[in-house]
Amino acid sequence: MSGEEEENAAELKIGDEFLKAKCLMNCEVALILEHKYDQLQQMSDDPRNQVSQVFEKSLQYVKRFSRYKNPDAVKQVREILSRYQLTEFELCVLGNLCPETVEEAIAMVPSIKAKGRVHDDDAIDKMLNDLALIKKFE
Amino acid sequence: MFLKVQLPWNVVIPAESLDIKGLMLQKSIVVQLLDEFASRKATKDLGYLLALTTLESIGEGRVREHTGDVLFPVVFSGVTFKLFRGEIAEGVVHKVLKHGVFLSCGPVENIYLSKLKMPDYDYVPGENPVFMNSKMSKIEKGFTVRFIVIGTKWLESEREFQALVGLHADYLGPVS
Repeated sequence: MSGEEEENAAELKIGDEFLKAKCLMNCEVALILEHKYDQLQQMSDDPRNQVSQVFEKSLQYVKRFSRYKNPDAVKQVREILSRYQLTEFELCVLGNLCPETVEEAIAMVPSIKAKGRVHDDDAIDKMLNDLALIKKFE
Repeated sequence: MFLKVQLPWNVVIPAESLDIKGLMLQKSIVVQLLDEFASRKATKDLGYLLALTTLESIGEGRVREHTGDVLFPVVFSGVTFKLFRGEIAEGVVHKVLKHGVFLSCGPVENIYLSKLKMPDYDYVPGENPVFMNSKMSKIEKGFTVRFIVIGTKWLESEREFQALVGLHADYLGPVS
Protein backbone atom coordinates (compact mmCIF):
# COMPACT_ATOMS: atom_id res chain seq x y z
CA MET A 1 0.00 0.00 0.00
CA SER A 2 1.29 3.50 -0.73
CA GLY A 3 1.96 5.62 2.36
CA GLU A 4 1.12 3.56 5.37
CA GLU A 5 0.42 6.58 7.60
CA GLU A 6 -2.62 7.25 5.45
CA GLU A 7 -4.38 4.07 6.53
CA ASN A 8 -7.62 4.86 8.28
CA ALA A 9 -10.42 2.33 8.44
CA ALA A 10 -12.86 4.98 9.66
CA GLU A 11 -12.61 6.60 6.23
CA LEU A 12 -12.29 3.26 4.46
CA LYS A 13 -8.66 3.89 3.63
CA ILE A 14 -7.32 0.41 4.13
CA GLY A 15 -5.55 -0.21 0.86
CA ASP A 16 -7.17 -1.31 -2.38
CA GLU A 17 -6.19 -4.94 -1.99
CA PHE A 18 -8.10 -5.10 1.28
CA LEU A 19 -11.10 -3.07 0.18
CA LYS A 20 -11.67 -5.67 -2.51
CA ALA A 21 -10.66 -8.63 -0.36
CA LYS A 22 -13.46 -10.53 1.21
CA CYS A 23 -13.78 -9.76 4.90
CA LEU A 24 -15.26 -12.33 7.24
CA MET A 25 -17.41 -11.79 10.30
CA ASN A 26 -16.35 -13.46 13.54
CA CYS A 27 -19.31 -15.83 13.31
CA GLU A 28 -18.30 -16.90 9.80
CA VAL A 29 -14.71 -17.50 10.89
CA ALA A 30 -16.01 -19.58 13.80
CA LEU A 31 -17.85 -21.87 11.37
CA ILE A 32 -14.77 -22.25 9.13
CA LEU A 33 -12.34 -22.92 11.98
CA GLU A 34 -14.65 -25.30 13.80
CA HIS A 35 -15.12 -27.25 10.60
CA LYS A 36 -11.33 -27.40 10.14
CA TYR A 37 -10.90 -28.51 13.71
CA ASP A 38 -13.44 -31.31 13.27
CA GLN A 39 -11.62 -32.49 10.15
CA LEU A 40 -8.36 -32.65 12.07
CA GLN A 41 -10.06 -34.49 14.88
CA GLN A 42 -11.06 -37.23 12.47
CA MET A 43 -7.48 -37.58 11.33
CA SER A 44 -5.80 -37.68 14.71
CA ASP A 45 -6.70 -38.34 18.31
CA ASP A 46 -5.43 -35.08 19.67
CA PRO A 47 -6.20 -32.28 17.23
CA ARG A 48 -4.69 -29.73 19.57
CA ASN A 49 -1.26 -30.97 18.52
CA GLN A 50 -2.15 -30.36 14.90
CA VAL A 51 -3.12 -26.72 15.00
CA SER A 52 -0.92 -23.66 15.24
CA GLN A 53 -1.13 -21.20 18.12
CA VAL A 54 -2.51 -18.64 15.72
CA PHE A 55 -5.34 -21.04 14.89
CA GLU A 56 -6.04 -21.90 18.49
CA LYS A 57 -6.12 -18.30 19.73
CA SER A 58 -8.31 -17.23 16.84
CA LEU A 59 -10.75 -20.07 17.43
CA GLN A 60 -11.07 -19.13 21.10
CA TYR A 61 -11.60 -15.52 20.12
CA VAL A 62 -14.28 -16.08 17.50
CA LYS A 63 -16.12 -18.50 19.78
CA ARG A 64 -16.35 -15.76 22.39
CA PHE A 65 -17.16 -12.95 19.98
CA SER A 66 -19.65 -14.53 17.60
CA ARG A 67 -23.02 -12.84 17.89
CA TYR A 68 -24.69 -15.55 15.86
CA LYS A 69 -24.03 -19.25 16.31
CA ASN A 70 -26.53 -20.92 14.05
CA PRO A 71 -25.13 -21.37 10.50
CA ASP A 72 -28.42 -20.31 8.92
CA ALA A 73 -28.50 -17.14 10.99
CA VAL A 74 -24.90 -16.39 10.01
CA LYS A 75 -25.84 -16.68 6.35
CA GLN A 76 -28.88 -14.49 6.84
CA VAL A 77 -26.88 -11.74 8.52
CA ARG A 78 -24.62 -11.44 5.49
CA GLU A 79 -27.61 -11.58 3.16
CA ILE A 80 -29.44 -8.81 4.94
CA LEU A 81 -26.44 -6.54 5.34
CA SER A 82 -25.60 -7.06 1.65
CA ARG A 83 -28.80 -5.22 0.72
CA TYR A 84 -27.47 -1.95 2.10
CA GLN A 85 -24.62 -1.09 -0.29
CA LEU A 86 -21.95 -1.57 2.34
CA THR A 87 -18.33 -2.42 1.63
CA GLU A 88 -17.08 -5.79 2.85
CA PHE A 89 -15.26 -4.09 5.69
CA GLU A 90 -18.30 -2.11 6.89
CA LEU A 91 -20.53 -5.14 6.64
CA CYS A 92 -18.29 -7.18 8.91
CA VAL A 93 -17.76 -4.46 11.51
CA LEU A 94 -21.54 -4.12 11.82
CA GLY A 95 -22.06 -7.88 11.93
CA ASN A 96 -19.37 -8.22 14.60
CA LEU A 97 -20.37 -5.40 16.91
CA CYS A 98 -24.16 -5.43 16.38
CA PRO A 99 -24.79 -1.80 17.34
CA GLU A 100 -28.17 -1.17 18.91
CA THR A 101 -28.83 2.41 17.86
CA VAL A 102 -28.28 4.46 14.72
CA GLU A 103 -25.91 6.71 16.63
CA GLU A 104 -23.85 3.74 17.79
CA ALA A 105 -23.75 2.27 14.28
CA ILE A 106 -22.38 5.53 12.87
CA ALA A 107 -19.79 5.69 15.66
CA MET A 108 -18.64 2.14 14.82
CA VAL A 109 -18.58 2.69 11.05
CA PRO A 110 -18.24 6.46 10.43
CA SER A 111 -17.77 5.87 6.71
CA ILE A 112 -21.44 4.92 6.22
CA LYS A 113 -22.35 8.57 6.73
CA ALA A 114 -19.58 9.90 4.49
CA LYS A 115 -20.36 12.26 1.65
CA GLY A 116 -21.94 10.66 -1.37
CA ARG A 117 -23.23 7.61 0.49
CA VAL A 118 -26.92 6.86 0.41
CA HIS A 119 -27.58 5.95 4.01
CA ASP A 120 -30.05 8.06 5.89
CA ASP A 121 -30.88 7.40 9.51
CA ASP A 122 -34.08 5.55 8.62
CA ALA A 123 -32.25 3.08 6.39
CA ILE A 124 -29.67 2.42 9.10
CA ASP A 125 -32.43 1.99 11.66
CA LYS A 126 -34.19 -0.55 9.46
CA MET A 127 -30.94 -2.44 8.96
CA LEU A 128 -30.35 -2.66 12.73
CA ASN A 129 -33.92 -3.86 13.28
CA ASP A 130 -33.46 -6.58 10.68
CA LEU A 131 -30.30 -7.71 12.45
CA ALA A 132 -31.96 -7.73 15.84
CA LEU A 133 -34.76 -9.87 14.40
CA ILE A 134 -32.34 -12.57 13.27
CA LYS A 135 -30.83 -12.68 16.73
CA LYS A 136 -34.28 -12.97 18.29
CA PHE A 137 -35.33 -15.93 16.16
CA GLU A 138 -32.00 -17.72 16.12
CA MET B 1 -10.66 -8.00 10.83
CA PHE B 2 -10.63 -11.51 9.47
CA LEU B 3 -9.97 -11.69 5.73
CA LYS B 4 -10.47 -14.30 3.07
CA VAL B 5 -7.50 -14.09 0.74
CA GLN B 6 -6.13 -15.82 -2.32
CA LEU B 7 -2.42 -16.37 -2.10
CA PRO B 8 0.17 -17.42 -4.62
CA TRP B 9 2.85 -19.58 -3.01
CA ASN B 10 5.80 -21.65 -4.18
CA VAL B 11 5.98 -25.19 -2.89
CA VAL B 12 9.22 -27.13 -3.24
CA ILE B 13 8.82 -30.90 -3.28
CA PRO B 14 12.04 -32.82 -2.58
CA ALA B 15 13.01 -35.27 -5.29
CA GLU B 16 12.51 -38.29 -3.02
CA SER B 17 8.86 -37.39 -2.39
CA LEU B 18 8.05 -37.33 -6.07
CA ASP B 19 5.89 -40.19 -7.17
CA ILE B 20 4.71 -41.39 -10.51
CA LYS B 21 1.15 -41.42 -9.23
CA GLY B 22 -0.33 -37.94 -9.52
CA LEU B 23 -2.49 -38.32 -6.44
CA MET B 24 0.49 -38.71 -4.14
CA LEU B 25 2.04 -35.62 -5.63
CA GLN B 26 -0.99 -33.52 -4.85
CA LYS B 27 -0.93 -34.85 -1.31
CA SER B 28 2.76 -33.95 -0.91
CA ILE B 29 2.04 -30.44 -2.12
CA VAL B 30 -0.81 -29.97 0.34
CA VAL B 31 1.19 -31.40 3.25
CA GLN B 32 4.17 -29.20 2.45
CA LEU B 33 1.95 -26.16 2.06
CA LEU B 34 0.19 -26.77 5.38
CA ASP B 35 3.54 -27.09 7.12
CA GLU B 36 4.92 -23.87 5.71
CA PHE B 37 1.67 -22.07 6.30
CA ALA B 38 1.68 -22.95 9.98
CA SER B 39 5.34 -22.11 10.54
CA ARG B 40 5.17 -18.79 8.69
CA LYS B 41 2.75 -17.48 11.35
CA ALA B 42 2.17 -14.08 9.78
CA THR B 43 3.18 -11.78 6.95
CA LYS B 44 3.46 -8.01 7.02
CA ASP B 45 0.94 -7.49 4.24
CA LEU B 46 -1.71 -10.09 4.99
CA GLY B 47 -1.47 -10.37 8.74
CA TYR B 48 -1.72 -13.62 10.70
CA LEU B 49 -2.23 -16.81 8.71
CA LEU B 50 -5.02 -18.81 10.31
CA ALA B 51 -6.14 -21.55 8.04
CA LEU B 52 -5.85 -22.80 4.55
CA THR B 53 -9.26 -23.49 3.07
CA THR B 54 -8.81 -24.60 -0.54
CA LEU B 55 -6.03 -25.28 -3.00
CA GLU B 56 -7.21 -23.38 -6.08
CA SER B 57 -4.62 -24.37 -8.63
CA ILE B 58 -1.27 -26.09 -9.06
CA GLY B 59 0.94 -24.70 -11.78
CA GLU B 60 3.51 -26.37 -13.97
CA GLY B 61 6.37 -27.80 -11.88
CA ARG B 62 9.92 -26.63 -12.54
CA VAL B 63 12.87 -28.90 -11.80
CA ARG B 64 15.69 -27.29 -9.86
CA GLU B 65 18.95 -28.04 -11.53
CA HIS B 66 21.27 -29.15 -8.74
CA THR B 67 18.97 -30.87 -6.30
CA GLY B 68 16.34 -32.35 -8.56
CA ASP B 69 13.64 -30.90 -6.33
CA VAL B 70 10.58 -29.62 -8.09
CA LEU B 71 9.08 -26.21 -7.48
CA PHE B 72 5.33 -25.87 -7.98
CA PRO B 73 3.66 -22.47 -8.08
CA VAL B 74 0.29 -22.87 -6.39
CA VAL B 75 -2.63 -20.61 -5.56
CA PHE B 76 -4.74 -21.24 -2.50
CA SER B 77 -7.44 -19.56 -0.45
CA GLY B 78 -7.07 -19.01 3.23
CA VAL B 79 -8.20 -16.99 6.22
CA THR B 80 -6.01 -14.28 7.73
CA PHE B 81 -6.37 -11.70 10.48
CA LYS B 82 -5.16 -8.12 10.39
CA LEU B 83 -5.89 -5.03 12.46
CA PHE B 84 -6.32 -1.77 10.58
CA ARG B 85 -5.71 1.73 11.86
CA GLY B 86 -9.09 3.30 12.64
CA GLU B 87 -10.80 -0.07 12.97
CA ILE B 88 -13.10 -0.63 15.95
CA ALA B 89 -12.92 -4.08 17.49
CA GLU B 90 -13.34 -5.95 20.75
CA GLY B 91 -10.57 -7.56 22.76
CA VAL B 92 -9.98 -9.31 26.07
CA VAL B 93 -7.83 -7.80 28.83
CA HIS B 94 -5.00 -10.16 29.82
CA LYS B 95 -2.75 -7.92 31.89
CA VAL B 96 -3.39 -4.81 33.99
CA LEU B 97 -0.39 -2.57 34.69
CA LYS B 98 -0.06 0.84 36.32
CA HIS B 99 0.37 2.62 33.00
CA GLY B 100 -2.21 0.76 30.98
CA VAL B 101 -3.58 -2.63 30.02
CA PHE B 102 -2.70 -5.32 27.49
CA LEU B 103 -5.44 -6.89 25.41
CA SER B 104 -5.67 -9.75 22.98
CA CYS B 105 -7.81 -9.73 19.88
CA GLY B 106 -7.90 -12.77 17.63
CA PRO B 107 -4.33 -14.07 17.34
CA VAL B 108 -2.80 -10.71 18.37
CA GLU B 109 -1.67 -10.57 21.99
CA ASN B 110 0.30 -7.35 22.17
CA ILE B 111 -2.41 -4.75 22.07
CA TYR B 112 -1.63 -1.88 24.40
CA LEU B 113 -4.22 0.49 25.79
CA SER B 114 -2.25 3.20 27.54
CA LYS B 115 -3.62 5.15 30.50
CA LEU B 116 -3.07 8.25 28.38
CA LYS B 117 -5.57 6.91 25.84
CA MET B 118 -8.29 6.40 28.46
CA PRO B 119 -8.04 9.69 30.40
CA ASP B 120 -11.25 9.23 32.40
CA TYR B 121 -10.05 5.92 33.88
CA ASP B 122 -7.84 5.72 36.98
CA TYR B 123 -5.63 2.90 38.13
CA VAL B 124 -6.85 1.18 41.28
CA PRO B 125 -4.04 -0.93 42.79
CA GLY B 126 -4.66 -4.13 44.72
CA GLU B 127 -4.33 -7.86 44.44
CA ASN B 128 -6.46 -7.68 41.34
CA PRO B 129 -5.68 -4.20 39.96
CA VAL B 130 -8.28 -2.50 37.77
CA PHE B 131 -8.93 0.73 35.90
CA MET B 132 -12.12 2.51 36.89
CA ASN B 133 -13.89 5.71 35.83
CA SER B 134 -16.23 8.01 37.76
CA LYS B 135 -19.26 6.01 36.55
CA MET B 136 -17.76 2.90 38.19
CA SER B 137 -17.16 1.34 34.81
CA LYS B 138 -14.32 -1.18 35.30
CA ILE B 139 -11.56 -2.59 33.12
CA GLU B 140 -10.03 -5.69 34.64
CA LYS B 141 -8.41 -8.96 33.65
CA GLY B 142 -10.72 -11.13 31.58
CA PHE B 143 -13.06 -8.26 30.66
CA THR B 144 -14.08 -7.38 27.13
CA VAL B 145 -13.14 -3.91 25.93
CA ARG B 146 -14.24 -2.24 22.70
CA PHE B 147 -11.45 -0.06 21.30
CA ILE B 148 -10.26 1.88 18.26
CA VAL B 149 -6.90 0.99 16.67
CA ILE B 150 -4.49 3.95 16.71
CA GLY B 151 -1.56 2.25 15.05
CA THR B 152 0.02 -1.10 14.30
CA LYS B 153 3.62 -2.19 13.97
CA TRP B 154 5.07 -5.26 12.27
CA LEU B 155 7.96 -6.95 14.09
CA GLU B 156 9.92 -8.85 11.47
CA SER B 157 12.07 -10.85 13.90
CA GLU B 158 9.12 -12.19 15.89
CA ARG B 159 6.79 -12.28 12.88
CA GLU B 160 4.20 -10.53 14.97
CA PHE B 161 2.13 -7.38 15.10
CA GLN B 162 1.83 -4.93 17.94
CA ALA B 163 -1.02 -2.47 18.17
CA LEU B 164 -1.78 0.69 20.10
CA VAL B 165 -5.43 1.28 20.85
CA GLY B 166 -7.53 3.94 22.53
CA LEU B 167 -10.97 4.67 23.94
CA HIS B 168 -11.22 8.24 22.61
CA ALA B 169 -14.50 7.93 20.70
CA ASP B 170 -18.15 7.33 21.57
CA TYR B 171 -19.38 3.85 22.47
CA LEU B 172 -15.91 2.55 23.35
CA GLY B 173 -14.88 0.98 26.65
CA PRO B 174 -15.69 -2.13 28.65
CA VAL B 175 -18.56 -4.22 27.28
CA SER B 176 -20.59 -6.17 29.76
